Amino acid sequence: MKICRAPGVLVTYALGSCIGVCLYDPVLHLAGLLHIMLPNMYQNHKDNIFKYADTGVVEMIRKMEAFGAVRSRFVCKIAGGAKMFEMGGGGNNSVGNIGARNIDSVKAVLLHERIKIAREDVGGNYSRTVSFDASTGEVTIKSYGRKELKL
Amino acid sequence: MTISNYDDMSRFELDVLKEIGSIGTGNAATALSQMLNRKIEMGLPEVKIMDYNKAISELGGPETVVAGVLVHLSGEVNGIMLYLQRLDFINIVLESLVGKKINDFMYLDEMGISALIEAGNIIISSYVNAISTLTGITINLSVPGISVNMLGGIMNVPMAEYGYETDKLMTIGGTFICDGKEVYSNLILLPDIKSLNYLMKKLGVKSE
Repeated sequence: MKICRAPGVLVTYALGSCIGVCLYDPVLHLAGLLHIMLPNMYQNHKDNIFKYADTGVVEMIRKMEAFGAVRSRFVCKIAGGAKMFEMGGGGNNSVGNIGARNIDSVKAVLLHERIKIAREDVGGNYSRTVSFDASTGEVTIKSYGRKELKL
Repeated sequence: MTISNYDDMSRFELDVLKEIGSIGTGNAATALSQMLNRKIEMGLPEVKIMDYNKAISELGGPETVVAGVLVHLSGEVNGIMLYLQRLDFINIVLESLVGKKINDFMYLDEMGISALIEAGNIIISSYVNAISTLTGITINLSVPGISVNMLGGIMNVPMAEYGYETDKLMTIGGTFICDGKEVYSNLILLPDIKSLNYLMKKLGVKSE
């Protein structure tokens, strides 16, 4: 998780099934970018709270509020949650479903925290590099063999 | 002592895995050489256990485009095997099987993708065969899946799958020498911790 002010740019490289959660306070030009890997933290894993959607989002909001950001001003954009491998043959299909579970979890947490998602680019089967410009709040998504996308 | 984390493995246990890696690479080279009908030699494989982020930078950075073939292991040993192929390796496969080379992953067609899955599948199966023969364990393999994309995203998959258990992964780097040209490819082996212990027990490795 990283937080910065204008004119900084936050970047996270090659999100696969992971999700990048961008929170922006347009008045302060304060940007926070969180990179989560898994949907929920279980009791016995207190290692890195930013690895999990449920704990990571809550902690990022807390940290940004500590920097003076106001929750009602937050503009939220999310990207990632791809399903990288299409496994054939049915049977054990848990592999690769993590992306969808991450999306669900991030959306549930944001709903619970009463933050609306302004734009999103989730799902698909490709990885995304996310850059988040703190001066404009613009999110740029680069992926291999695809056009650059601005959120 | 049971292993509760990849870091816990003793040097001896690592050596055992290296040996499996060697045998697997040997089998793989033979299988590959039969499939491609070319002479293929192998270098000594390197088995490393490292952090997820370190592994990515060691393999060429998160935005490097690679082709990854993923197989799910089930049965007495559960886990994931991921075989990463870079352009130089891919060209050797394509040249022999489809009769053309590519300069960029963009030009991969359906035939090419299918050839890569097959090559990956053969290599993964050779490793699993080596483990299975050594230990007498039955391991089932799923149908392989392929993804041609940025390395960071591909590596997300095994990490997320076992993210609750470990932040480390095991890479087996192997060199194949084909027509005097050295190509490097990587295999990522991620058994879950329970299976790793079972494997060690079956191999008769006792650590104190």
